[in-house]
Amino acid sequence: MVAASEKIANDPQILALLKDQSTDAAAKARWNQFLELVRIPSPSRQENLKAAEIHRRLVGEWGFTQAEVMTRADGTIPASDTNIVDGLPVYNACVVIKGSYSGRADAQQYKGQFPKVLVEGHIDVVNPEELPKTGDPSIRIKLQPYAQPVVATPEELAAIPEELSFDARGRVVENDRYATASKIFANAKEAEAGGGVRIYVPGYGDMMPSTSNAFVLAAAMKKHKIQPVYDIWICGTAGEEGKGNLAGMKQLYGFDQKAGTGSNPLNFVANFGLEGGGTVNFLGSYRFEMKFKAPVPRGSGSGPSAPEAMAAAIAKIADVKTPSELRDGAPRTTYTVGRASCEPPPAGRTIVPSCSLEVDMRSPRTETLDEIRKNIEPLFQAGASAENARYGRKDGGPEGITLELMWYGLRPAFVAESVDNIAVHAGLQSGIQLGVLTSPTVGTGSGSLNDNVPANTGIPTYQFTLASSAAGAGGHAFWEWGTRGTPAAEVERMHRVLTAALIVSGFHAADGTVVPPAIGPMGKRTREVAR
Amino acid sequence: MKRLLFSVAFLACVAATTPAFAQQSGNLRVDFQGPGGHSSGAYGRVSALHAAARAVILIQQSLPAGSYQITNLTGGNSVNSIASDGLIELKLTAANAAAYQKLVAAVTNLAAEGAAAENKFRGVKPGDLTSGAPATVRSAVTPF
Repeated sequence: MVAASEKIANDPQILALLKDQSTDAAAKARWNQFLELVRIPSPSRQENLKAAEIHRRLVGEWGFTQAEVMTRADGTIPASDTNIVDGLPVYNACVVIKGSYSGRADAQQYKGQFPKVLVEGHIDVVNPEELPKTGDPSIRIKLQPYAQPVVATPEELAAIPEELSFDARGRVVENDRYATASKIFANAKEAEAGGGVRIYVPGYGDMMPSTSNAFVLAAAMKKHKIQPVYDIWICGTAGEEGKGNLAGMKQLYGFDQKAGTGSNPLNFVANFGLEGGGTVNFLGSYRFEMKFKAPVPRGSGSGPSAPEAMAAAIAKIADVKTPSELRDGAPRTTYTVGRASCEPPPAGRTIVPSCSLEVDMRSPRTETLDEIRKNIEPLFQAGASAENARYGRKDGGPEGITLELMWYGLRPAFVAESVDNIAVHAGLQSGIQLGVLTSPTVGTGSGSLNDNVPANTGIPTYQFTLASSAAGAGGHAFWEWGTRGTPAAEVERMHRVLTAALIVSGFHAADGTVVPPAIGPMGKRTREVAR
Repeated sequence: MKRLLFSVAFLACVAATTPAFAQQSGNLRVDFQGPGGHSSGAYGRVSALHAAARAVILIQQSLPAGSYQITNLTGGNSVNSIASDGLIELKLTAANAAAYQKLVAAVTNLAAEGAAAENKFRGVKPGDLTSGAPATVRSAVTPF
């Protein structure tokens, strides 16, 4: 692997690609592409607008043929056995860098699928909560000098007069405000001193700069005729946030949540995520959406209230302390009631028919995840019972508040028992080769990432980032912002991702030799494909 | 006990100032604003939705039965985010204008109390910042 890494990292085709990406024009093109994509709203399970724009650019601008686009506008990947997740289509956007392997006489396949390496970053963002029903859905990108305090309310954010402009084709207008936003800084201190601005837009930190650059990398590989041995798929994935339930990865890996198994229908042999740095353990999570239903009103209309029952449940949950808050040394465990809503009363009435809450619980180990679930799950009923008791109503009876499970989400926890796998090796070796790592060690932390799915399907996975930000904060909040970082860092990160992916996939070098794939052609799976 | 005394005193106050002939009702919205953030990465920040729920329970424990009706409780933007916003909508009914204003004042105080309870639980106080943004959850009451 050391020799492969050295050969790939220094291959003239790779170096030409990187030189091409190191120009000011390329840096500007990357920056503009990010700004133009990040303003397209992409709530979880409603990523169709962003996926459609990526599909359009793949063929219209980035040099791919329609046959190289692996995902369809209707959310289908023909070879997957999991095209509907939680009852909805999956709006992934994937393109293939075609390898040579399928042309070999001795090529092996799994039910028609030759081996593939996946490089992916998600395209969904927590804000806005839903696509707007009418009007221009585009997000306004606001600019604020560092000298001013971070906005405290959505209204303050909306009132900022400085914002980027886009033309009718969705291209950023290169005016004075664009020039200000495009200033490059190494860090927040330099940005503050040098007239930098906070660029407020959902997805700046999580994680459109990295995902956008994945497609820059794909287009550059196509342009420079980088040929792997196994196919490399580069994907913008759906459903990583909110109630997305990792839908994009479930489609790609044929992952069945109820069974906890993945069929790996496309035969991926390794996975590289683009949301972080080197995580090998993955947080598990349980997510519930519970509905509190009010009884049909009788007489005066006085009776248990759905919002008060839900409030009682949330208030009880709000007082829960997690294992890591109760015991030194317990794995970091978290929860929140992330969202709540109520059904409007029928016209002319004031009784709320029902209310729903959504709660998230996370921990790196199943034991502590189950512990927090054991503490929180009974509180749904406790809220309903408390409200019923105020009116002397029986739980479960027709005259009391009743509970209904609307949705259940699961990210299986994954604790790596061994990091002796090809994705970790390639990830580390590429870092050592390029001087960003000094030793082949992995961190002990955990992340809740798309990688939960391949890890639990048996596919080796590792993460990088392709983003470069000088500063940023407010992830998942209305005040998410960032400031542009150095373009050189983006190019360095492309170099590493390319090197790692090609180590695994194999690579046709400029000198005519072939770096063989570092892993066999049959991806792992925990269930056979059902198609 | 303190809350019970408040409730009893409040009931007495409403009863003492309530002519039977001038019932007044109206709708209030109680907004809660907090910093929000990633449910895991920003864990430990206050939740505007948790604060709103705490406030609903305080209202329930303090206002006379029949004087209020919660018509909406909402907040947050995704299951995996700490809610930066919370909203209670409620209808108040009082025997007269003065009693109604007392109800409004009580809801305003109880909303602030709910926010304060959430801030206390998470150990933040007014003026604290989290990544540059106000760290506390705040409440505001407006008629609609």
